Amino acid sequence: MRIFSTLILGAATAAALASAPVSATGAITCKAGPQSSWKSQGVLKAKLVKEGWTVRKSKVDGGCYEVYGTTPEGARVEAYFHPVTLEKLYVARRGEVLFRKSGY
Amino acid sequence: MQSYQQSMLRIILNNRYIFWAVLAFPAAYMLRGYQSGEVIAMDMLQPTGEWSARLMIFAMILSPLVAILGPRPWLNWLVKRRRALGVAAFLYAVLHAIFYLIDMSNLDDILAEFLALGIWTGWAAMLLFVPLALTSNDASMRTLKAGWKSLQRLVYPTAILVLVHWIFIHNNLGPALAHFLPLAGLLAARYFLVPKLTPKGA
Repeated sequence: MRIFSTLILGAATAAALASAPVSATGAITCKAGPQSSWKSQGVLKAKLVKEGWTVRKSKVDGGCYEVYGTTPEGARVEAYFHPVTLEKLYVARRGEVLFRKSGY
Repeated sequence: MQSYQQSMLRIILNNRYIFWAVLAFPAAYMLRGYQSGEVIAMDMLQPTGEWSARLMIFAMILSPLVAILGPRPWLNWLVKRRRALGVAAFLYAVLHAIFYLIDMSNLDDILAEFLALGIWTGWAAMLLFVPLALTSNDASMRTLKAGWKSLQRLVYPTAILVLVHWIFIHNNLGPALAHFLPLAGLLAARYFLVPKLTPKGA
């Protein structure tokens, strides 16, 4: 009895620890080469603002630039951009995919 | 005869204000970051939500632990504080919802994403959380009698909604499973290993 419960507890803990490091959202990935060839997040932000976006936050995720903001059409989204070409690759609202470039 | 240190420890462990201060500490730490302007409202969502789920799960694992391990003084100490853990989980959920409203800042955006699986499950969990928190007191236990336990069992559908909310809000399994697998494991262990120790209706 005690052995079984210990085993179950151990298994649950191991499973918890094993799954813990999975933290990237991994919506999409960009294979964009070394970061030295990337454009800066500031350049992307300036481009988006010019196009009518509101940018709340940006970061690197899955080798892409991930931007939290509002589209020119007024939708609150999470969007991914290629860090070299700054092309829009993926747009989602709380996990609902609104746009996905073919191949990504 | 008890030593001075032992009785001091006992006083600290049994002081309910100290326990509440411990529960409030993560909130105080997070709010300090927000107050200082280092952390934006959007980034308050993840920690407040995680602490809410964490405290809820902590409250939920106590009865399977008692069923599996048998009575233990430390477990009994925690079981006595289970309602406080639940109320704290609710208050972190309230904080989570407040920062969501601050971050979204207008009704149109909130309604536009309301039907997303990761969003409505969060609202539904919040809704179920309200009667749980409002009845987490002696007066409600006395008034509701046996119904109190059935009402508090709403925590199980609430937990499922929280799990779905967590997974789908960011298409991300890892952190949600890290919290929920131990709970699922313990509930399963209680169900399969100790059916005799579970009294009828517990």
